[in-house]
Amino acid sequence: MKIAISYPPIVNDQGQKAMVSQNRNVQFFKKPTYLLPVVHGQAASWLKNLGYDVLWDDGNAQLKDFDQWFRDLVAWRPDMVVFESTTPVMKFYWKLVDQLKSACPNCIVVMTGYHSMRRPEETLDRCQADIILRSNHIDFVLRKLVPYIDEHSNWRDHCPIEGLVIRRDEKDYLDTGNFKQIEPLDLSPDVDRDLVRWKDYAYENGNYLQVPGTYATSVIRDCMFGKCTFCRYNGPDLTFSMRSVEKSLDEYQRLVEDYGVREIFDDSGVWYRGAEARQFAKGIIDRGLHKKDCYFGFNTRFGYMDEETVALLAKANFRFLLIGMEASDEETLARLNKGYSLEDVEANLKLFTKYGLFPHLTIMVGYYWQTRKQLQQTVDTVKRLMFEGVARTLQVTLCTPLDFTPYHQECSEEGVLLTDDYDDFDMSKLIVKTPIPHDEYYAAIRDIYGVAFHPKFVGRQVQFLSRMRKSDWQFLFTYGTRAVRRVNQHVFNLTRHEGSPA
Amino acid sequence: MRHKVLSVRDISPTTYVLRLERNGFEFTPGQCVNLGLPGTGVNREYSTYSGAGSEFLEFLIKEVPEGTVSPKLRAATPGTEVDLHGPYGSFVLDPQKITNSKFVFIASGTGIAPFHSFVTSYPELDCQIIHGIRHAVDRCDIEDFDSDRLVTCVSREPLEGRQGRVTDYLKETSLETESFYYLCGNQAMIYDVYDLLRQGGVSGDKIFTEAFF
Repeated sequence: MKIAISYPPIVNDQGQKAMVSQNRNVQFFKKPTYLLPVVHGQAASWLKNLGYDVLWDDGNAQLKDFDQWFRDLVAWRPDMVVFESTTPVMKFYWKLVDQLKSACPNCIVVMTGYHSMRRPEETLDRCQADIILRSNHIDFVLRKLVPYIDEHSNWRDHCPIEGLVIRRDEKDYLDTGNFKQIEPLDLSPDVDRDLVRWKDYAYENGNYLQVPGTYATSVIRDCMFGKCTFCRYNGPDLTFSMRSVEKSLDEYQRLVEDYGVREIFDDSGVWYRGAEARQFAKGIIDRGLHKKDCYFGFNTRFGYMDEETVALLAKANFRFLLIGMEASDEETLARLNKGYSLEDVEANLKLFTKYGLFPHLTIMVGYYWQTRKQLQQTVDTVKRLMFEGVARTLQVTLCTPLDFTPYHQECSEEGVLLTDDYDDFDMSKLIVKTPIPHDEYYAAIRDIYGVAFHPKFVGRQVQFLSRMRKSDWQFLFTYGTRAVRRVNQHVFNLTRHEGSPA
Repeated sequence: MRHKVLSVRDISPTTYVLRLERNGFEFTPGQCVNLGLPGTGVNREYSTYSGAGSEFLEFLIKEVPEGTVSPKLRAATPGTEVDLHGPYGSFVLDPQKITNSKFVFIASGTGIAPFHSFVTSYPELDCQIIHGIRHAVDRCDIEDFDSDRLVTCVSREPLEGRQGRVTDYLKETSLETESFYYLCGNQAMIYDVYDLLRQGGVSGDKIFTEAFF
């Protein structure tokens, strides 16, 4: 069988491209950010290892326009095409699936992604897709599904594989039940870097302090914590599983020594903590990978890292830590189930920067309960943390209820959702009723991002970066230029609805 | 929220029960919280061990020798303040099923904590508890469980003529496919038990898991 794992180029009416972004949601950007879809990459690698003909078909990262991408895909004559979609581009995908089925009637179209997995029947009703995966463990499902289809012509009627909704006929769907929640993550292979054309993703990514960078095969599937209400990695049907430290270390060694990678970021919801984190850092040091001019980074939570672990990570050349701060008032932190207080945030940030790590904060504004006082508290705290130099960079987004997360359900139950048009869920504007006018949240974003241009912050940044082990002014300039470009883009994207009626 | 430690009670060399003042804290049995010592900036998740109606809060904690939080909590003395965040999590019983369904709770080690909370909160619960431990000394407050409902599987020494893991016990037992199965403990146990249950005809919709790490 010939299987394409495909990401079509999607361009909005402002000429912005749809990019997979925070929380695997889609955001539109003029300047690209290419994030390697790791789990789909593992799925592709696994199918290739099983002997199937696999096409890694990311039209965005491969710089194709839609027509060229579509022509190339059809010309390849796939037996199966796998798409990943989330709410803001669902309508696009429904049209695309029908277009593809017209061009390739015998091609099996498989839909994955957090929207269709929660509402499989909707997608089957709205387009001619053949199979919906109810699991986010795409690799585990596809490695069972593809061989089964390959060997059984009557797969639509008798598929025993869990976690699927299969079209039997126009309005007749077979639901194969709940998907298996947990499988040993070590069974899934490392991402085949050549298959996914890793260099396509190696340069344009704001999480890299230096390039070429790449995403590691994630050590955690879903999230170790898994309780934050706004996050995708939360729900009774999701849980976490963990990869072994040694297997990951082997991959890091290959990436550094065979591929010349200079930055490795692990995009697990939350990376190792405690004993595993220390074991990993020691492994990097024991293998000498900390002396190979490669930085390492990951997502973490406040409350997870103690001083001994942080010191070891710094010694092992870890730098970039992406941490969801979300807000700085205790009520919001509690309502989001963050599991820590502002006191913990400050203690952790001081610890990270004491050892030269590079904490990148993600903040959200526009929660449906967020008052003027709470908003201002977040703005003031974030600015203070940046001016004090305990946080290095930041990213602000508008809190958008994502694909049936607890926050999304809460917004529906509270009656605060202002739209049910899926196009509006692209994180470019606020779509919930709030206690103060939306413009005040947009102004807060501008205010926070304004930190990047403040002389006090710039001075701190230069002072910090010049102390990094690699005092490379070209790197400093490159990173600084990239950062400013991204700040401008974020401010444009997140405030372009300023002045629009709520 | 700050809570004072009332006591630390040793269960075994590796396990203890931390008792905190209730302080008005409300939770649903099966939910967990984050616990840490103030000012350290580090905390960890623990399932509630005590019942919803108890006058205090209890957590069953395994001390990780090289751990950051569990040794400090074990060393806490009465009156020590602890930071508590939560509750959260969806590893809870459906209220509509509590009185009219059968449950099987399968735990390894301190994974029995939420099940202890279930049985003390809902005494009328029709349930069986299968608890896997390494040594007999790791049994926790067995007098709180109905002895007819509790099966203890000890893997490293015989107990009452039997020795083995929870998976050994399950292989010898006919599974009731109509029951709801709750699994809590280490990942390896959960992988193995999940597979056994599915092979035994239990629908994935009837299996709920909470992996400890």
